[in-house]
Amino acid sequence: MTLLVRAGSRARPIILAVVTIPVLFAAMVPLSQRIEARIAELEPGKDVLNVASPKLIRQMSLGYHGLMADIYWTRVVQYYGGKRRDQDANFPLLEPLLDITVTLDPHFLAAYKFGAMFLAEPPPKGAGRPEAAVKLIRRAIDANPGDWRLWHDLGFIYYWDLKDYQKASEAYAEGARNPRARDWMKVMAARIAQEGGTRQTSQFLWLQVRDSTSDPSIRKNAEGHLMGLKAEEDAERLKPLVDEFHRRTGRWPSATSELVAAGLLRRVPADPAGFPYGVDQEGKITLHAKSPVSSPLLPKPGAPTWALPGK
Amino acid sequence: MTTVRIIAWNTFREAVRDRVLYNLVFFALLMMVAAILVGQISIGIERLIIVNLGLTAISLFGVVMAIFIGVGLVYKEMERRTLYALLTKPILRWHFIVGKFAGLGLTLLVNTAFMTAGLFLALYYVTRTLSLADFQILTAVYFILLQLSLLTALALLLSCFATPIVSLVCSLGLFIVGSFSQDIRAFGEMSQTPWMEGFATTVYYLLPNFGAFNVIAGVAHGKTVPVALILDNTLYALLYIVAALLSAVAIFSNRNLK
Repeated sequence: MTLLVRAGSRARPIILAVVTIPVLFAAMVPLSQRIEARIAELEPGKDVLNVASPKLIRQMSLGYHGLMADIYWTRVVQYYGGKRRDQDANFPLLEPLLDITVTLDPHFLAAYKFGAMFLAEPPPKGAGRPEAAVKLIRRAIDANPGDWRLWHDLGFIYYWDLKDYQKASEAYAEGARNPRARDWMKVMAARIAQEGGTRQTSQFLWLQVRDSTSDPSIRKNAEGHLMGLKAEEDAERLKPLVDEFHRRTGRWPSATSELVAAGLLRRVPADPAGFPYGVDQEGKITLHAKSPVSSPLLPKPGAPTWALPGK
Repeated sequence: MTTVRIIAWNTFREAVRDRVLYNLVFFALLMMVAAILVGQISIGIERLIIVNLGLTAISLFGVVMAIFIGVGLVYKEMERRTLYALLTKPILRWHFIVGKFAGLGLTLLVNTAFMTAGLFLALYYVTRTLSLADFQILTAVYFILLQLSLLTALALLLSCFATPIVSLVCSLGLFIVGSFSQDIRAFGEMSQTPWMEGFATTVYYLLPNFGAFNVIAGVAHGKTVPVALILDNTLYALLYIVAALLSAVAIFSNRNLK
């Protein structure tokens, strides 16, 4: 009997804990949400750089700068991802955070490559600061002179983002001097020097980017650009047909289906994602509002427009 | 409740006897050196540095005390065999757990109170004045105390079933992970994988959110902490402490002490 009473008194705290603790945690969920919102109100500046000196952080990391670089790199990714998620086109801390990361670990190639991509891409995909991206890649080359791919990254930014074809050609030529560099680096140097910016060159470059990466996000980005280039090519082919429609009827077609009805096309043309092309009031070929394809040359009705800060 | 009070008082006396409060000397030295140096190495941000440094030191000293003393609270009594003598008296096991928690809480309260006084003295030395805004520091100190109480409850819970070294590592780990718990959630959201997001959110709600108690930077910049946040954080800490102590009592009550 005594044993039974003892067993009962010992079981009581367990029963109490098992019943009460889930209730307490359930009560904590809305409380946590409220606290989170209030903390965000109190410290709205997520964009706070606690320590501005990369060298100081390196010294403070007491030799664990490799790990610190990893932590800072995750901060960069979080910062960039958060801005993209919130559709905020201002990235004021991207460059300092990248600076800290590569100061902590100058051989962190992923930070240079992805960082340059984040910096160079125009808003809303990136900070729209190709000059900063060039600076970052030049740092990468200084710290990692044996990596010929960094010259490709540099040449690419000059070619695609800055449209500086002479410097792009020089970068490819410089990278081609590395005995390990692929033959197409020489081809690119010559082709860009000769032709400047052509669609074929751009397509070749984006294909190189797509095929040389194992990272899905870079591949997706490259495929996006390739689709954009394909759409520009399609638009170039469609334009004479639209002009022909205008010549015949005296007005611009309201949709590409009118070109089919007029016998100028066999079927409604679609972009690489399968969405039909449109025609605006001035006879320009447009992309469908819901299409994931984007191109600076093809307007997309209803899509938001982005401006660089200060412009 | 008298039993709990007696155990708590004795836990506090034992901490004092163990010269735990000697850390106040280090704190005083740190504040004195900072107060003298800060005027020479910085321009216009003396107050900011003193408040940041002082509150961070209060938090770190407290965390070290809460973890190092907390993990030994039960284990030490068992190792010294003083627990057996204690439990022969009309003391229930939950009295012991709650008493130990309250005793360490009192130690931390006294320690924090002295350090806060030191911080205000250093602040007065540097700025030669104390404004009403400076008393916002007390809110940050209160949040630090809530944080320390929560950490003490967790360390005590761990000390009920693990050795001090395991408890120490786990408590420290919980403190570090709990300080970054919002990042875990953000990672989940960014993964854009439903199961990963769900997992990260669950972990976020289960882990103690120590980051929510950190308003040091805001207070250092003279920002006012909303009353609603003070109430919510108090309630959150209270609920988590009750959950941790209930678990500790459940484990300790069923522990075979032979």
